[in-house]
Amino acid sequence: MAPPVIQLEHVRKRFALPGGEAVPVLDIESFAMAAGEQCALEGQSGSGKSTLLHVISGIMRPDAGRVVIDGVDLVRLPEARRDRVRADKLGLVFQQFNLLPGFTALENLLVAMSFGSGKADRSRATDLLAAVGLADRLHHKPAELSIGQQQRVAVARALANRPRVILADEPTASIDPAHQQQVIDLLKTTCSEHDVALLVVTHAPEVAGQFPRRLRLEDFNRAARAGASA
Amino acid sequence: MTLLGIAWRNIRQRSVTSSLTALSLALGVALVVATLVTGGIVKQAFDSGSGLGYNMIVGAKGSPLQLVLNSVYFISRPIENISWSFYQEFLPAAERVDGADGRFAASTATAVPICMGDYYRSHRVVGTNAAFFSRLKRGNGEPYRFAAGANFTDDDFFGGVIGAAVAGTLGLKVGDPFAPTHGADDGAVHDPFYVRGILARTDTPIDRGVFVNMEGFYLQEGHAKPLSDGAVAGGGDGENADSTAGSPPRVDGQPQPLPYDQREVTAILLETASLPGLPPELTSMGLRTTINEGREAQAALPIAEIRQLLDLFVKPLELLLLLVTTLVVIVSAIGILVSMVGSSLERSRDVAVMRALGARRAHVLATVLFEAILLAGFGGLAGWALGHAIVAAIGPWITTNAGVSASIFSGSWAEALLVPFLVALAIAAALIPAIAAYRTDVAKWLQGG
Repeated sequence: MAPPVIQLEHVRKRFALPGGEAVPVLDIESFAMAAGEQCALEGQSGSGKSTLLHVISGIMRPDAGRVVIDGVDLVRLPEARRDRVRADKLGLVFQQFNLLPGFTALENLLVAMSFGSGKADRSRATDLLAAVGLADRLHHKPAELSIGQQQRVAVARALANRPRVILADEPTASIDPAHQQQVIDLLKTTCSEHDVALLVVTHAPEVAGQFPRRLRLEDFNRAARAGASA
Repeated sequence: MTLLGIAWRNIRQRSVTSSLTALSLALGVALVVATLVTGGIVKQAFDSGSGLGYNMIVGAKGSPLQLVLNSVYFISRPIENISWSFYQEFLPAAERVDGADGRFAASTATAVPICMGDYYRSHRVVGTNAAFFSRLKRGNGEPYRFAAGANFTDDDFFGGVIGAAVAGTLGLKVGDPFAPTHGADDGAVHDPFYVRGILARTDTPIDRGVFVNMEGFYLQEGHAKPLSDGAVAGGGDGENADSTAGSPPRVDGQPQPLPYDQREVTAILLETASLPGLPPELTSMGLRTTINEGREAQAALPIAEIRQLLDLFVKPLELLLLLVTTLVVIVSAIGILVSMVGSSLERSRDVAVMRALGARRAHVLATVLFEAILLAGFGGLAGWALGHAIVAAIGPWITTNAGVSASIFSGSWAEALLVPFLVALAIAAALIPAIAAYRTDVAKWLQGG
């Protein structure tokens, strides 16, 4: 089996409520994904799915445990280094796509590239957009693109810095059913072609059912189990 | 894509707000530039009074400042006249009819009389003699130069010399006649004088002056001092003149000079001499005291009067204007702050996205500061250009009225600090939104704000 690109050990995260009480959100003994693996993660609302993605991406630091991405433990790194690891090794696809509205499709990719270790490679950005069928929409701003086209830009942007993992947070939640399948197909195909691990968070069983590995967060997050039983 | 490029994109994304912010900055800076340049021009106008080849002005009793403003800058009204005999007191024996040195001749190097009160199309007419242009200076010790023609001679009674601004405005050429009016533009029209010379530009009030031979000036209607009852006109060469009311006395068809006892002068421009054993300053101080203690006239030191005027009025006014305009710039900089804080909601989402893409906190901080720098830089430069365009637009008016050249290139050293100051101010103003961007809670905004 390929070495893991995501490895979580003894990860704990609590949020403080306004009254001062600390509520556990994540309590994960172990979680791992191999390089190139594709996995769907299901969970109820409030089960900690988004928090888990933020911890894996280094946006949020856990209170305890190890979060190892492609051999680098994010928890031990200062914030600026975590940012660099996120730029280089992780690609994020958001529920709302979150394209930068003032920038063209091509520039959205170039901005992402400018935060990574490599140079902002215009020809690679153009190729990526062409690969997702947007060769004729390079200089269109998000508002000038359809929902489907915006999502394709978001996928291309996630791949801009040759990441090892793509984390997709509810990528089909805000699009109509006709486009949902296109997005899932695009993500799976693109990640396979680029040998990138794919972790898709979803609450839709029909989406989760299309992935070779399907996990429920409650199965390995003790905090979610406790919350559900409470 | 560089951080500067990202900042520029952000500015373009909010093009309306950014344009309005830059415009308000530009207007503020234009106001400051115009104030600085005009302040410089005012100072230059008054500083041009130095190095004119005389250090004292003698005139009728009254305000010394009025005497200086009228005699040097051709503004304000003449006080009164002083007698021809008092003027004679400054002349050496060779230049006097009685063959004796005047009372103040030993303290005088040069004495040039001027007579004022007439106008030629809103330009002041100054009656004087040829020594005005041959012995006085154009400023900074430089002799007068003629762009065309030459100085009039003392026996050319109706010869005149015009300043560069007058020639430019009225289109007069050498040989052209011009008839001054008495007292004001709508006063009685005098006999014509003829342009003998056009002065090269001096950037002093001289540029807007019309100078005529005082012998011709005296012969104009209303310029001869009325004789007291029983007195007989005497002096000069006018004893045998055939004088009829309204026309100059003539002998064999030639105009004759006005008798001395019918003459007055408005002021005397004096270059004092050093008395034996005394430094020049003490000589001029002594002469000034003697004249001022007398009943007939006063002596004023133009440089001292102007310095006092600058210190009392011009400098405080300039400071006040500068303070007001600086406040305008500060308010404009606050406009940057308001504009950026106003767009902080929109920015927070974009910042969160950029941070999720791997941007460090320093990146987003720098991007916001770059936005402020670009806005201040462009707004400042546009305002600087606009300020100079305003000065250039009103330049001809300034040149005509102040006798000082003002062009698009007129400037002040303080301007060099203006844009850097504005940029520094903008950076300070942008620190609040920049720090807010720095502290953006990425997770919160990614989950929908």
